[in-house]
Amino acid sequence: MVTKTEERELNQLENQVENGGGGVWEYLYLVRKLKVRRSEIVLKHGLSILNDSGKRSALGPDEWILYEQVAMAAMDCQSLAVAQNCIKVLQKKFPESKRVGKLEALLIEAKGMWEEAEKAYSILLEDNPLDQVIHKRKVAMAKAQGKPSLAIEHLNKYLEVFMADHDAWRELAEIYVSLQMYKQAAFCYEELILSQPTLPLYHLAYADVLYTIGGLENLIAARKYYAATIDLTGGKCTRALLGICLCGSAISQLSRGRNKEDKDMAAQELESLAATALEKEYKQKSPAKLNLLSSALRSLKLS
Amino acid sequence: MGTGTNGELKYEISQNAYIKLVLHSLRHKTAAVNGVLVGRISPNDEGVVEISDSVPLFHSNLPLLPPLEISLIMIEQHYVAQGLSVVGYFHANQRFDDVEVSGVAKNIGDHISRYFPHAPILLLNNKKLEALSQGKDRSPVMQVCILMLRAVRLVAAGTGGSGSLCVRDASKNWRVVGADGGSKLLLKEPSANVVLSDYISSEKWKDVIDFDEHLDDLTKDWLNPGLFN
Repeated sequence: MVTKTEERELNQLENQVENGGGGVWEYLYLVRKLKVRRSEIVLKHGLSILNDSGKRSALGPDEWILYEQVAMAAMDCQSLAVAQNCIKVLQKKFPESKRVGKLEALLIEAKGMWEEAEKAYSILLEDNPLDQVIHKRKVAMAKAQGKPSLAIEHLNKYLEVFMADHDAWRELAEIYVSLQMYKQAAFCYEELILSQPTLPLYHLAYADVLYTIGGLENLIAARKYYAATIDLTGGKCTRALLGICLCGSAISQLSRGRNKEDKDMAAQELESLAATALEKEYKQKSPAKLNLLSSALRSLKLS
Repeated sequence: MGTGTNGELKYEISQNAYIKLVLHSLRHKTAAVNGVLVGRISPNDEGVVEISDSVPLFHSNLPLLPPLEISLIMIEQHYVAQGLSVVGYFHANQRFDDVEVSGVAKNIGDHISRYFPHAPILLLNNKKLEALSQGKDRSPVMQVCILMLRAVRLVAAGTGGSGSLCVRDASKNWRVVGADGGSKLLLKEPSANVVLSDYISSEKWKDVIDFDEHLDDLTKDWLNPGLFN
């Protein structure tokens, strides 16, 4: 996961690079470090370095890392010929290398030759059964072929071994959400909250899922998790503030006529505080939409 | 709602609405994206729904309710002042060759059609989009799905349908109507695809803001004013 500061730095560098202001190597390094997916730009600028023999030799041993990075970016952009060339260079330099072997298998996968790729990955796994990247490729292939249940199966098996892999839990949660299997997604977020209770992202996602499942208990729980998100983000999370208001509206709708008054007085205060905070945010950052927000909040109170 | 003179309902989409949605899906190539269509029944012809604008919604976690609910409330409130409302839904699947109407698309389509009967679902047709740069195809790069009521079987007529219509029949199933001859989705400006191709070459998609981004940064405007200036 990338922090806001890191993202800002990355975008600044990216702007600079795209506008001919240099800093390509720093940008490529940052992309590698943060593990973000900016393949088109990496391909364009990485390739221009590789195609310039002067710049290339100036890299020294980092040249090979760049070949690897460009190969992967090329595959992501379906520039398979470029990828093939990069891999050839690496094969020549590092024959019998497992790391290059991974790239070769990745290329087969990029070509959409699923069975061959499956075989290639299995061979690689024989030598190194704990290679997380390869296990994840199997999940990715299942997704790419439109077999989400298979992806889920692979991912669950993976998590039995690598249960501390938060990214994998998140991926699994998102696959479940995309299939509208909300309860299973909720379970994933519960695991994430248990292991990293101070990350507001998980509380927020969990609250969203609970709200989507619906029902009075889930809505009350969702409100608690939105509140936790607000707490952990110092009140800056628009989504959580809106979530509080949505929950309030939904809860009162459900408990109406049930004689079950929302006995949580704190909750009502929370709602009006959230509304005030939202209006303040909108006034500051999006004043043209302040009226829209206010009437939206009003309609939530009435419904 | 009435039908046209030849008994068919047609959807006419403005260039801006059309291009905005396609650019949005190009901005997030690796994700499923969605958006809403904004418009009204044509005051000149009851059988035509004018889609005059669109709002790109999300590029992550589409099936979650809270962001969707808040976006629909705000969008409706904004456009009601112009006599417009949400009249349909746009969806682009994550995978290139996925032509199915997903569960979430059906659910959202159902919801919208409760307020605007005959609301269509427009699905991005990736193959047509890819072929855009090569051909001179003037038909939209989208498939149309519409909700069909029990007794009325709307016939897909027309020529060169790049859009497929999804029709919902009595069993509440949205179905993609094959482009057998007719298209119910018409581009209001015939040169829309030319303009779209231009924008794609100039990477205009970088400027499209959706509701997701607005929620993460309120200074970003989901109305995208000035996008086409």
